[in-house]
Formats: sequence, C-alpha cells, structure tokens
Amino acid sequence: MNHFGSGELETAVIQSELCIGCGACVRLCPYFDSYRGKTALLFPCAVEKGRCFAYCPKIEVDLDAITRFLHGKPYDGNPLGHHRGIFIARAGEKVRKQSFQAGGTVTALMVYAFRSGNIRGAVLTNRKGLLPEPRFVTRSADVYRASLSKYTAAPTLSALNEALDKGHGNLGVVGTPCQVTAVSQMRMNPMDKPGFKDPTALVVGLFCTWALDFRRFETFLAGEVPLEKIVKIDIPPPPAQVLEVYLEDGKREFPLDRIRPLVPDTCGYCPDMTAEFADVSVGVLEGRGDRNTLIVRTERGERIAREAEEKGFLVLEEMPRENLEHLQWAAGNKKKRGFLRSREAGKVNGEPGKTLFRLAPECLDGVFQDR
Amino acid sequence: MSFLIDEGRNIQHLLMGNEAIVRGALEAGVNVAAGYPGTPSSEIIETLSKVARDRNLYVEWSTNEKVAVEVAAAASFAGLRSLCVMKQNGVNVASDFLLHLASSGTRGGMVLVTCDDPGALSSVNEGESRLFAQILEIPLLEPGDFQEAKDIIPWAFALSEKIRNVVMVRSVTRLSHGSGNVRFGSLPGTSAQAEFVCHGPLLDPETGPIISMILAAPELQHGPQQEKLKKAAGIFETCPFNTYQGPDEPELLIVTASICSLYSREAVRILGLEDRVGILKLAATWPLPERLVKKHLAAAKRILFVEEVVPTLEDHVKVIAAEAAGEIGAKTFYGKKSGHLPSVGELNPDLVLDALARIFPAAAGTRPAASPGGVTDIPQRFTPARGMTFCPGCPHRASYWSIHNALALDGRGGFVCGDIGCYVMGTLPAGFSTVKTLHCMGSGSGVASGFGKLRSFGMDQPVVAVCGDSTFFHAAMPALANAIHQRSPFTMILLDNRGTAMTGFQPHPGSPTNVLGDEAPALDMEKICRSMGAKVEISDPFDLVKTREKLNRLLEYGEGAKVLILRQACALSPEKRGQRKYEVSVDAERCRGENCGCSRLCTRIFGCPGLVWDREKEVSRIDEMICAGCGVCADICPAGAIVRKEVAR
Ligand SMILES: Cc1cc2nc3c(=O)[nH]c(=O)nc-3n(C[C@H](O)[C@H](O)[C@H](O)COP(=O)(O)OP(=O)(O)OC[C@H]3O[C@@H](n4cnc5c(N)ncnc54)[C@H](O)[C@@H]3O)c2cc1C
Ligand code: SF4
Ligand code: SF4
Ligand code: SF4
Repeated sequence: MNHFGSGELETAVIQSELCIGCGACVRLCPYFDSYRGKTALLFPCAVEKGRCFAYCPKIEVDLDAITRFLHGKPYDGNPLGHHRGIFIARAGEKVRKQSFQAGGTVTALMVYAFRSGNIRGAVLTNRKGLLPEPRFVTRSADVYRASLSKYTAAPTLSALNEALDKGHGNLGVVGTPCQVTAVSQMRMNPMDKPGFKDPTALVVGLFCTWALDFRRFETFLAGEVPLEKIVKIDIPPPPAQVLEVYLEDGKREFPLDRIRPLVPDTCGYCPDMTAEFADVSVGVLEGRGDRNTLIVRTERGERIAREAEEKGFLVLEEMPRENLEHLQWAAGNKKKRGFLRSREAGKVNGEPGKTLFRLAPECLDGVFQDR
Repeated sequence: MSFLIDEGRNIQHLLMGNEAIVRGALEAGVNVAAGYPGTPSSEIIETLSKVARDRNLYVEWSTNEKVAVEVAAAASFAGLRSLCVMKQNGVNVASDFLLHLASSGTRGGMVLVTCDDPGALSSVNEGESRLFAQILEIPLLEPGDFQEAKDIIPWAFALSEKIRNVVMVRSVTRLSHGSGNVRFGSLPGTSAQAEFVCHGPLLDPETGPIISMILAAPELQHGPQQEKLKKAAGIFETCPFNTYQGPDEPELLIVTASICSLYSREAVRILGLEDRVGILKLAATWPLPERLVKKHLAAAKRILFVEEVVPTLEDHVKVIAAEAAGEIGAKTFYGKKSGHLPSVGELNPDLVLDALARIFPAAAGTRPAASPGGVTDIPQRFTPARGMTFCPGCPHRASYWSIHNALALDGRGGFVCGDIGCYVMGTLPAGFSTVKTLHCMGSGSGVASGFGKLRSFGMDQPVVAVCGDSTFFHAAMPALANAIHQRSPFTMILLDNRGTAMTGFQPHPGSPTNVLGDEAPALDMEKICRSMGAKVEISDPFDLVKTREKLNRLLEYGEGAKVLILRQACALSPEKRGQRKYEVSVDAERCRGENCGCSRLCTRIFGCPGLVWDREKEVSRIDEMICAGCGVCADICPAGAIVRKEVAR
C-alpha cells in the first residue's frame, strides 16, 4: 500500500479540493481540525506515514484490498457492490414514533444494536442549527436525536477517532459512502498496530449521490429562509427534482438545478452511491418516501438486521426485482462518472501518493462497458 | 537617594551612557522631561523619574513621541528647560510637530535626545535620526564617550537658549547602554518659575505668541530659522567636544563621530598608526563647522569616514572639500561609498581595522593574531544558536496559537497585520509565522483598515491586526477610528499584557499608575473601543479553546471593525514574576513523542522554552528552571501527557 503523511494528504487532497470533510483525519492528532465543514492542516507534522493519510477516502483507496478484507474476493465493479440481500425496510413497532428521514431504518438498526448489546457506542451526526455535528453516543435514547439527514458533508468520523482514543470498542457507525470507505480502511489496521482489534460492530452506510458544501449551502439558504426555523430537509427520490426545506410554519422547494452548484467538486470523483463497504446500506425507497431500501452486505449486518426484524425493531419485505432496475442504473451511472472523472485526472492507478483509486484494470474496463 | 543627584563636584562614577545623559540634564537644571519608551532610550526617563521629587522635576511617559515633544515644548514656551527623549523611530513620529516647532522656535532651553540603534539590535530597522536634523534645520550634537554624554547636555541647553531653537543630541545603543567613568559637575538649585508670556506682538520672539507661520511669508519665519542655524554653525567652530588627535600632517585623516570615534582610536592603536593617522572626532555634526573641517582637510591627502548607518558625515565633508578644492587640493576618500566600510549594521574596532589595513597594507601585519575572527566575534561565539522566541509563559505565544488556528480553520487565507512590540515575533515560527505585514507603531491597524476595504476588488481573505496596549494609545486609535468610520471589516486583536512590556513595563494611559508610581486614571480600552463603535469581545489568551472560538466568530461576523481584547499579564510583569500558577510535568508514559498522534507538537511547534525534548528517552519533559508555570501547554498536548497542578498558596 502506498502510504504517506500529512503533508502529502494536504497537497493531494485538501489543496486539490478533493477533501469532502469526512473527519477521518481529525482528532487523530493535533494537526488536522475541522471547522464549519472544512478540514484544515494546522501545522506541518513530521511523521512520514500517518493514519490520516491511510484513513482518508480521497487518496490511495485500494478497492481490491478493501473488498478482499471485507468479503474475501476482489472488487468487481458491481453497481450496488457486494450484497447478500436487498429489502424494503422501515422501523418496527418497538421503535419510538418520531420524525425520520424516510422509514427510520437507520435509527431502528442502531437502537436495536444498542438494546441487544451488539454495540456499546455509536458514531452519529446531529445538527446544531444547520451545522452537522459529529456525535459519539452511548445510549439508545441518543440515537433518536440524531435522526434525519443533514445533506451537507459532515466531519462525523472525528467523533469516531475521539471514541477510539478513549479506548471505546464495539461501535456502531452511520456514514455516507466516503465515510464508510474511511472506516473500512481504519478497520484494516494500516499502521500494523500490534494487538489491533476491529473496533466496529455495525457499520451502516447511507446512499449518497452527492453531499452539499456546508458553507455554500448555508450562504445560499440564509438568503432564502430563516435558518433557525428549519425542521427537516429532504431530497425526495426521482422523478422529483427538488430540495425541500420544511420550516416550522411551511415548506419551501428549490429546484435541484439551483442546488447542484453547492456540491463540492470532489463528489464528482466518487464511484460509490450505495456505501459498498458497509455492513448494511440504507437509502430512500424509490417512489415511497416513507420506506427505505436496505442492502445487506455482510454476515454480521445480516444477523443484526434479521434479529432486529424478529424483535420488532425492523419491518422487512422482499424487494421486487423490477424495483431495483432504476437504482442499479443510477448507481452504475455514478460509478462510471466517478471513475471516468478520476481517470481523466490521472487518479486511477496513477502516481503513488496522488492517486484516488486502485483497482484491477480489467475491472475498470468492465465498469465502462457495462450496459 | 540616587547617587545621580550627588552634589559632590569632581567625583567620578561609573555610569551607563543614559545615566550620564541624565546627570547632564540635572546639571543643566532641567525642569520637565517627557518621552515614550523605546530601546535604547528608555532608561533616561526612568532614571529621571526616580529623582523627580528630589529635583523638583515634572517627568512623564507620554502617549507617543509626538505628544512627548509637545509636552516638552510647552515647558520651553513657559521659560523652563525641557528634555524629550525617544529612540530613532520616535523621531519619525514626532517629526510633524518638530518641523513646526523648529520654525516657531523655543524659549527655555529644549533638548531632544534620540537614541539610535545601528544594527537594529532592538528595533525593526536601523533608522537614522541625524538626517532629521537637516530636514528640521536644527543643530545636532553627538557625544563620543561617556563623559561627553554628560557634558554635552548642559552645553546643548545653553546652545538652545542662544539660538532659541530645539537642539538634537544623538546617542547610539553602544553609548546609551555601555558604561564608563564620568566626572560630575555641580547641580544647580531646584526652584523654577513657569509663565507663558504670549500677549505681545505676533512676531516678537520674546513676548509674542509662539506659532508656526500661518501666512505665505516664509521670509518671516524660515529666514530667521536659517539664521539660527548659521549662528549654531558659528558656535560649533569652537565647540569643545570637537577634538583632533594625531600628527599635524597625517597620511590619513579619519573623520568620525559618536561611538565610532572610540572604535577608530582602538583600531589606530592596535595597528600602531598613531604617528601616521589623525582622528578628527566631531561632536557638532550638523551643521558642520566648515572652517574647522577645512583646516583638517587641508593637512591630509586621504580621508577615511568612520560612521554608522547613513553616510551623512561623508556627504557633508565631501561638499566642503569640493567647495574648497581650489584651496586645499584634491583628496582621496574612503568610507562607505568606497566600500571600505559596510553600509549597513553596526561598526566595531575590527571593521575599522580592516579598512585601515586596506589603506595601509604594510601595517596589517601588526594586527594581533589573537583575534582571528575578530575582537567582537568572541562573545557571539559563546551565545547559543537558537531562534528568537517568546519567554516561557508569554501570553503572546498563546494568543498567536489561537490566532493561527482560527485563521487556518477559517480557511479563507486570512492573515495578520503586525505592529510594534514583543509580538513582532509573530512573523517568526515563535508566533507560528502568523504576521504578514509589519511596519511602524500603529500601522498594523491602519494597513488592516485598508485591506478590509478591498472586498469590492474580490479580496475575501479575513484581515486581522494585532496591537499591544501601549501601541493602541500610541498610534492605533486613529486607525481604528478610520476603520469604524469607513466600515472596514477587520478584526483588531488587542494584546493587552498590562504594560509596555517590551521596553520594561513603563506605564501608558491604560495603566493605573504613572511614571512616579502615583495613582493615575486608567483609560479603559474596552469602553473606548465600544464607544468608538466597534463590536468588542474579551478573552483570556490562556483559554485556548474560547479564544479561538471567539475569534472565529468575529472573523465570520461580516460588517465593520471588530475588536478582540486578549487580556493576560506579561510573564515578566511585576505581578507575575517568580510566581508559578501551576506545577507542570510530563507523564512520560503518556507522551506520544514523535509518533503518529503527536509528532512532538509541544517542542517542535508550540516551542515554549520550558519544554524540552529528551532525545534519549524520546519523550518531552519540563525544564523546571525555565517553566513559568502558565500551564498552557497542558491544553495543547493531544495525549494529556502534560499535567498541571495548581500551586498551593
Ligand atoms: C448527504 C446525504 C446524501 C444522501 N443522498 C441520498 C440519495 O441520493 N439517495 C438515497 O436514497 N438516499 C440518500 N441519503 C440517505 C437518506 O437521506 C436517508 O439518510 C436514509 O434513507 C436513511 O433514512 P432513515 O429514515 O433510516 O434515517 P434516520 O433514521 O432518520 O437516520 C438518519 C441517520 O443519518 C445520519 N446522518 C445524517 N446526516 C448525516 C451526514 N451528513 N453524514 C453522515 N451521517 C448522517 C444520522 O446519524 C442518522 O443516524 C443521503 C443521506 C445523506 C446524509
Ligand atoms: S480524511 Fe476526510 S476530512 Fe481528512 S482530508 Fe481526507 S476527505 Fe478530508
Ligand atoms: S505534546 Fe504531549 S504527547 Fe506530544 S510530545 Fe509533547 S508531551 Fe508528548
Ligand atoms: S507551563 Fe508549559 S507553556 Fe507554560 S511556561 Fe511551562 S512549559 Fe511553557
């Protein structure tokens, strides 16, 4: 693995505007910090091979190595990633009724994982005003507070680093695809720490086409609505082409054409729509805003989801094949676009320390030829 | 009671140059003294303040140098003898008033003492005040040793009264801060009566108003002013402090002044050239005593100028030589322009020796072998090579830490406009290289006010200015007023360390006491800024998290000027000295050292001298002799390895 330090991370990612602000490099050490959605290197660090670089999902991501680590096989470019099953899901009756982004599947899974002792802590994303706020929680009651999507990129993983620093283990993590990629790289023990044990017990990935740049989004919205009155933000599944802002006293809609300029450039390089390296991934069910699509990927993900269903925390239905077509098409499109953009920039299997992704060249060809 | 007011005539004392100046002023019967602190001048006002009560003096630290000259001028207008004191940069500040004062003239004797700093040992530049004497058209005197530093002051007062104008006396660091034996003269009585006689006719120098001319009639004032200067030049022909030493017809004439005359003598002695080289040491250096200079020029064919900073003696003597060329013949000149002496930095005996050795190659052999790297190199070889940094426990280090981090997190390429004080080190790694412009007193805020208005040209970098408490009153208030009035969105950070720390804790208008230690109304910077119309926040710089957060919020707050007061007394302040708040130690077990997760943040970046890196054990530790016990480093350590325990009192 090509492994470098903070200086290379700063030039190849932060200064190259590839940083999404996931927080994987934050709170590992005093050098990286995040402020209002942006990650900054405060001082030069002298360590030549650091965790910051190893964890970052925007540099030297070896897709084969990760897939081998998680599933014991190479990365194959499947639009939805490796999976064991796909379901229509929503929170069950054991879950408190409240506002969720869609079906409440994420909250339900996390609450159950706590109650069942599968996890002892969870890394989630709250919000303070419009600003997403990384949160490490140790009780299921706090999981409810983190519900609802914050559509801006968030330094969520800084809370994971903080929890690990304090020695916490058996953790649940909820994150976007880039965050989940970072988590999988952490789990691989890139620094070969002796006695290392995977600190995660359940990684829940969120579907993501793109996230918004916090600062740009805040400036945009501040000119449109009273920020303190926002209760929920939603991007309903296609064919709708709007971002909805629910206010205490009404709702505003903004066409996505006005919102897309607020997306950071780095999302254009991303080939992962469904958080392929998670234990389970959750999105909004197309055509049903109150249901989720749940992709089950790993054994432990499957076990927890099934138990949650049995115990009444989750309601699962088989996903009809034909319902998947559009999702597959959308995910495949993102993959092609992301790899194409990355390849054009010389960032697929390119120069060590400056490359975004590594994967087998045949597989890459396969992605481009697909359909 | 200070020995400086010892009545005894003719006794010798070992005095620092600045003390000699003080004694000279006392022997001259000075009544009023005002100044603004600045190395190497500060001891003069301080020392005078200690004898103020005994000698019936009024002494003050003024808000800035211009005000100091104004205060001293008032005393002169009222018939008293007054002294104003500053470093060379202060003359720049005072020059506006000085230009008008030189034209209106004075009454009681008035002497301006400026202490220049060749080599910029404790200055941001090696500015040159001698040139001001020319611009201002006032006489300039430069004492050449410690005895003269005393003797020249009463002489300068007398001259000032003879020509009714202010007289400038210039010292330099090595004279002000060096020491030598000084024989005392007698002290006059201490009674003085002040009255401003001003009801006479407009142009009457004895009884009229004292004004800088309001009419377009230069002949009425500029003419008389030049007459005064001519009169001074005449008096300078017989000035007892101009001396010549050497043969009647020297092979080389050294023309020198000030401390350089000592270097010249030393170099001539070492090379054994006493019989071949003559030294014309001038104390009256502007306007030059032409006849005296011409006489000595006539006797030698080759001339070497030994002076520091700008070649002013060189230029003026050359003019005299050119005008008298028909009479005295052509000369060969050596000095800065010929490259025999460097044009920047201090001189020393070695440099003069080098110049002489080039002119007298045969004599070079007699140069003592004992000083291969030079006489003056020796002390430098024994001082450790270490970057300049803030003292242990200095609030500026903590302030810059937060400023640096706030700007980095803000991420819009923000920068700091620096100002004058210890915090100039914000330009260096000691202050995390946060400061990106640095000029004179108060200019940080002025420049920042200008940067703030460049938004309409697409500049969206946040602009910050730092400013010390003393600097705030000195010259930054007008800049802040400007920024507020022009709605310039910059953030002024007042580094309030409770005193004029850099120069030794002289009080300023924000201090609760004056130079005599008497209670004085302290101006409240916070209230001032608020009432001027700025948004004001206060923080303790030792609280790193809060300070950073407050600053970030101010940086985001769009319109108008904002002020963040960072209040924490200087580590060397009398109230803190020797008192540790915390007992600080490093837990070697927890220290991450050079590993991923720290990379020696404390010793590599934070850089407090109280923290040292133990190479063998590969952990940091506290040097207990140096640590000031501020405990700030405990908050930067990512591992919680730096532990602080409050010291029981
Ligand atoms: C930036 C972003 C983009 C998305 N894009 C799509 C998409 O294109 N298509 C699609 O089908 N679904 C997308 N989603 C997922 C969708 O919005 C829902 O989060 C998901 O369907 C789960 O719904 P739920 O009802 O189970 O969530 P809830 O039960 O309400 O729980 C939401 C969870 O999301 C976490 N979270 C919220 N904001 C963030 C964030 N910024 N970063 C990390 N974690 C966060 C919280 O910790 C919480 O646990 C996106 C989500 C985000 C955050
Ligand atoms: S780890 Fe995340 S926050 Fe850090 S540089 Fe990479 S993308 Fe940015
Ligand atoms: S900052 Fe803390 S962990 Fe790092 S070297 Fe210093 S004492 Fe050790
Ligand atoms: S406590 Fe830390 S920062 Fe303060 S003086 Fe001691 S070593 Fe320096």
